[in-house]
Amino acid sequence: MGWETWFIVTLSRTLAYGTPLLLATLGEIYTERSGVLNLGVEGMMIMGAYAAFSTAYTTGSPWLGIVAGALVGGAFSLIHAFASITLKANQVISGLSLTMLGLGLSGVLGRGWEGRPLPASIPEITAPGLSKIPFLGPILFEGQNLIVYFSILLVVVMWYILYRTRIGIAVRAVGENPAAADSLGISVNKVRYLCTIVGGILAGMAGGYLSVAYRPAWTEGMTGGMGWIVIALTIFAFWNPAIGMLGAYLFAALYHLSFRLQPWVSPELLKAMPYAFAIIVLIAISRGTLHKKMGAPAALTLPYSRGEE
Amino acid sequence: MKTRFVLIAIVLLALVFGLSTLTVAKEYIPGSSLKVGFIYVGPIGDLGWTYAHDEARRICEDVFPWLETVYVESVPEGEEGLFIDKLILEEDCDVVFTTSFGFMDGTLDAAQRHPDKIFAHCSGFKRNANMMTYMADFYQIYYLNGLMAGALTKSHKVAYVGAFPIPEVKRHMDAFAIGVQEVDPEAELHVRWIYEWFSPTAAKEATEALIADGCDVFAFTEDSPTVVQVAAESGLPSFGHYSPMYNFGPEHVVSGQIAHWEAIYLDFLAKVYAGVYTARNLAEVNYWWLLKEGAVEIGAKPGMLINPVHEDELRAVTVNDPILGTINVWDLVMKRLEQMSDASMVVDPFQGPVYDRKLNLRVPQGLRMSEFELTTMEWAVEGIVGPWPGEP
Repeated sequence: MGWETWFIVTLSRTLAYGTPLLLATLGEIYTERSGVLNLGVEGMMIMGAYAAFSTAYTTGSPWLGIVAGALVGGAFSLIHAFASITLKANQVISGLSLTMLGLGLSGVLGRGWEGRPLPASIPEITAPGLSKIPFLGPILFEGQNLIVYFSILLVVVMWYILYRTRIGIAVRAVGENPAAADSLGISVNKVRYLCTIVGGILAGMAGGYLSVAYRPAWTEGMTGGMGWIVIALTIFAFWNPAIGMLGAYLFAALYHLSFRLQPWVSPELLKAMPYAFAIIVLIAISRGTLHKKMGAPAALTLPYSRGEE
Repeated sequence: MKTRFVLIAIVLLALVFGLSTLTVAKEYIPGSSLKVGFIYVGPIGDLGWTYAHDEARRICEDVFPWLETVYVESVPEGEEGLFIDKLILEEDCDVVFTTSFGFMDGTLDAAQRHPDKIFAHCSGFKRNANMMTYMADFYQIYYLNGLMAGALTKSHKVAYVGAFPIPEVKRHMDAFAIGVQEVDPEAELHVRWIYEWFSPTAAKEATEALIADGCDVFAFTEDSPTVVQVAAESGLPSFGHYSPMYNFGPEHVVSGQIAHWEAIYLDFLAKVYAGVYTARNLAEVNYWWLLKEGAVEIGAKPGMLINPVHEDELRAVTVNDPILGTINVWDLVMKRLEQMSDASMVVDPFQGPVYDRKLNLRVPQGLRMSEFELTTMEWAVEGIVGPWPGEP
């Protein structure tokens, strides 16, 4: 097989596997930008996956499933929002509880749903004409689905909002210096609520992608720790949607290659590769000079109360 | 203040230990109602290993009116001791089944702690006067599925997605490869490892990698129907594993392995109830159950031995067998199944001579492998392509 086919298959798989990572990472970037650390990504994802699957199964429409996944993810994130913003509880504990609650609840609700094939899953589409473009055609326009394109579009939109609009300034201000934002008349809690919900919606959608598009089936614990990769990717991205896309795709490429390269490289080594990559990047970021310039939102994990500072 | 605290702590500790030794260990009286606890390594909704054990548990409860069962799921390996104690001290179980290889040492410790209770450990090799071992093994079924895979491959590349490179999975791959090569001597078995018992994403990407490398028939060891689904999306045949996976690819699931743990559980529990097995005579009891005992079944789903969609293709390929003569693969599978299901077991996949892929003679002419050899085998047979961690 030529090197070209190698690249095409690898990049095409990168898009397919990277999409749920990307969706959830974009959401978590917004959540953290507003100063809320949500470690409940895994829980919101699996709730989204369960909601999407059960809805798609009962209605026969995978698209309704994705919508349900997003809604349930958003609703589920409200628990964290209420605990950490309104009640000012410890965000780490609240987020971890959300993950545990999501894994447990979806497991109980999902009893009896395993082993059922979906009547219809999100279709893979091949754009006539476009797929004939050499090299890029088979990667981008063959066998991908609409959610893949939607997530790429979302990168552009979310990047633009964050850096080029007043809404983005408000989000960043709330995450960097909530007292200053408050004095400018921005409602800190409202912004934080909305950003947490955006994070939940996108995590839920990512879960839905897994259960009705990527591998249409429900199994307990099917997100398999993806939510934790998302937390790492958010840091890797310096809380920037564009870098988030790069990170999600890099991780996805390494993940796919860890199976593809097995005939030549030791599988134990390959298995560790994507995770080693994440750790090395995290170390580099926490030590580098970049850290000061592009570091975490200053008010991350800090609840805000007016007049306390 | 401090001494008072220490005193209270000592009293509490004394109470806890005193109570646990004071608890009168009562031995099961044959014929009385029996309470049985199960320790599962995964969630019962995994549609794989734990799911199959739990189905068996429910069948037992339906069959025996004198039986009551409880279970604990998703128990991490290494923490089984705690849960076993809970089942015995709080739930008052007479028998405890532990269903993962990694529970072996914890189960043995518990068996020594509770000498009057009965223990059964799945897939291990350590026994005690009150602890037996049991396993329903698939190697014969993998061989039969391999025969069909050999007939169905056009690229001469058959694929296998493996969970962990341990003897159990390697034995199944070897048996499968032997079947493949019996029908298509040119064929290779391409192997990928995912290092997970349950990981739909890893199984999916491994399958995609194998498709990209030109493989066109799929078998696997992983606790979800992912491999079957991905193969079916590409229109390629596959073999289900552990639970009936026909529904995930009605046109593409050729056959598969189905476990019937209830065969072992029913037999053992009936014998405990009758007083045949007690907490004193299990040191030599080991269920290594195969086709002939009905602990495993070959099929795309129960009752569907081979998916009729593939009948013509399988009948169109013939092999020359030294004893059976020219025979088509459909009939060959049926014949071998009949031979292996029979108590005399005139054929076995690992029938000497068998060479490993480094060309060492592993099973001499005229011999078979013992159960011990089968459960500790690490080598790969000829025709297996790909990494093989721990290869001797």
